[in-house]
Amino acid sequence: MLNENRFTTPAKLKDALTEQMYIANDEIATVVYLSQQLGKPVLLEGPAGVGKTELAKAVACAAGRELIRLQCYEGLDETKALYEWEYAKQLLYTQLLREKLHDTLVETTSLKDATDRLSQEEDVFFSMRFLLQRPLLKAILSDQPTVLLIDEIDRADAEFEAFLLEVLSDFQVSVPEIGTLKAAHRPLVFLTSNNTRELSEALKRRCLFLFIDYPTLEQELAVVRLKVPELSPKMARQAVELVQRLRTMDLRKSPSISETLDWAKALVTLNADNLDKATLDSTLSVLLKHESDLQQARRQLFSPSSRDRRQDNNSLGSQRWSN
Amino acid sequence: MDQRIAQFISALRASGVRISLAESADAFQAIEEMGVMDREWFRISLRSTLVKEARDTEIFDKLFPLFFQPSQPPPMSDATKGMSPQEAQMLAQALRQFSQQLRQMMEKMLKGEPMSQQELNQLDQMINMDGMTDMRYQNWLARQMEEALNFPEVRKAMEELARMLREMGMNRQQVDKLREMMQANQQAMQEQIRDHAGESIAQNLSKKPRKEDAEGAMNRPFRALSEEDMHVLRKEVRRLAAALRTRLALRLKRAKTGQLDSKGTLRSNLKYDGVPMKLKFRDRTLKPKIVVICDISTSMRYVSELMLSMLNAIQDQISKTHAFAFIDHLEYISPYFERQDPSEAVRSILYQMPSGHYNTDLGTSLDKFVKEYMNTIDSRSTFIIVGDGRNNYNDPRTELFQRVARRSRNTIWLNPEPMGLWGTGDSDMLKYTPYCGRTFQVSNLAQLASAVDQLLLH
Repeated sequence: MLNENRFTTPAKLKDALTEQMYIANDEIATVVYLSQQLGKPVLLEGPAGVGKTELAKAVACAAGRELIRLQCYEGLDETKALYEWEYAKQLLYTQLLREKLHDTLVETTSLKDATDRLSQEEDVFFSMRFLLQRPLLKAILSDQPTVLLIDEIDRADAEFEAFLLEVLSDFQVSVPEIGTLKAAHRPLVFLTSNNTRELSEALKRRCLFLFIDYPTLEQELAVVRLKVPELSPKMARQAVELVQRLRTMDLRKSPSISETLDWAKALVTLNADNLDKATLDSTLSVLLKHESDLQQARRQLFSPSSRDRRQDNNSLGSQRWSN
Repeated sequence: MDQRIAQFISALRASGVRISLAESADAFQAIEEMGVMDREWFRISLRSTLVKEARDTEIFDKLFPLFFQPSQPPPMSDATKGMSPQEAQMLAQALRQFSQQLRQMMEKMLKGEPMSQQELNQLDQMINMDGMTDMRYQNWLARQMEEALNFPEVRKAMEELARMLREMGMNRQQVDKLREMMQANQQAMQEQIRDHAGESIAQNLSKKPRKEDAEGAMNRPFRALSEEDMHVLRKEVRRLAAALRTRLALRLKRAKTGQLDSKGTLRSNLKYDGVPMKLKFRDRTLKPKIVVICDISTSMRYVSELMLSMLNAIQDQISKTHAFAFIDHLEYISPYFERQDPSEAVRSILYQMPSGHYNTDLGTSLDKFVKEYMNTIDSRSTFIIVGDGRNNYNDPRTELFQRVARRSRNTIWLNPEPMGLWGTGDSDMLKYTPYCGRTFQVSNLAQLASAVDQLLLH
């Protein structure tokens, strides 16, 4: 199926993802495939918890590549993202090797000689041995193809974004003391963003854009069935229908897929065989994390207004919960 | 095909999607990779390379079918099939009663012939389509085309024909069937015309020169802005804000006012053998908090909207923004911005508090602010007022303004009016100025941007 950890068609990629318990639609599969073929990073956007990070993990597993993750946060800089010299280790080594150094320098007569002599050895101290590899450098230096996940890029500062551009465009880094390091294999790169701020045009230009939205009922049901097979099909459908309905409400934070899964697991643990008022009441807080959202959801679910009832006449919801 | 894609790209650009040369090159590369055989793959390849904003996908989805639809005429059926010679003769006789043009049209409907390309081209010439570059005109244009083809008359004539055929003694069922088929054919033709109208607009769009005169719009006074300018400016605000944000971030980073970070200092000075050559500071300067009160009466609407969107865009450089809007009373509007993008948020706010005439009243609004929201202001907050200071001779309540100003770190007033007009007529601007730390005249976006840059200075 895999040829040097590459996928040959989008359809194969989709199947491989399904094997990794990730249900991808055609769009996701095609864009990821394109990214592999064109060697361009994928910028994943979408509401929190729709599986952006999960996609990168699934692709890494499916391709049998190592996943290297760089979590972004405010104040992240090159030393945390790319590389840093291990000064402590360098110092320690000079201390320990003092005698050896002494031996090397003992024959020299003048200061100039000693310096010349030492400078011949200086490569020892600025070698890969003392280079602390951070995620980006690790992805570049890896001798196996990897998947690089740059998570929540919108949290990093704008300067870091500019720095990232350089790395992402040629996958090479120059370390002044060592020289230019070039990637042997171009990693598959995923950037995720929750859109808390506008990303720069330049970054967007270099990426393929993929917006992952909340899944449709059928897709979400498939995910729940796959990940929580213990839940009975009937219950799974009811649960997903309820979640989908919650998403249409005007909430501060709509439930995400991961929350649906948590809830499904909770229902299994509680051995619930019916979504009655008591079960809902005790488990709704798994889905909704704001008190005001909870109250609103309870109001609408337990005593739907006449308008709601008419709208939802067909869904099992209102019949079951209205009284 | 390449040309079609190029046209599509320029149509996207004309509709306001930013597509760089590099991105269009990517699109072609992606198409080469994926091929054009699978329509869905083709669509996704184009979309992921060309559209980089979730809000632009809508435009893409609208335009795509117009450019890459297999333009097959809709299926029509021949109503004259299966007619007895006698009936056919009756039909021919009845048809002769109509004028030539109507007869031709009706024959088309009867036989189920779609419009040929030539006829469509003729149709285009009948209607002036210059400047039709908005998809919203599609239905309107289709209607124009139908009228040019005399559709209303044809519809009447069809009823007439049915009546005549019945009178001539044709079987009632046969007449009904005939009429139904003609109607179905007419609908199919309408569909075809609508598609054609869409395609014509798309063609126009791709030829439309891009006139994104952002530079000009930036220096145009707010009161002279058209809705189209606003569209340009809204985008410009985003770009400006990105630049501002970088500047602010750098400024915060370089500001040396935090506490000494002993661990960081030790670590970064290891390379100097522990001699503290470079000091590290733990905290960057505290980010400012902003409380902004915006006048959103008709005259002030655009300024306020742009100001709010700019603040929204640099949100990550501000620790907290509380936004209020007022006309005759005050509303807390921050929640709107959490869910919508600024222009939509402003629209829904305006919907909540429609602007009447001559009822701007900052005094009452300040009163409500002091009573209910005074806790949003502390020694770190910058208090900003966006307004023209024209109170319609209501009480300006300067004593309240003074209280708020004294409590906040800094008070800034942004006024779009030229300074010479401050204090004239019903303007209470000069009564407020003594309590303001700074006042800015912001009559265009360029000035607004520099004011925002200034106001975040410490």
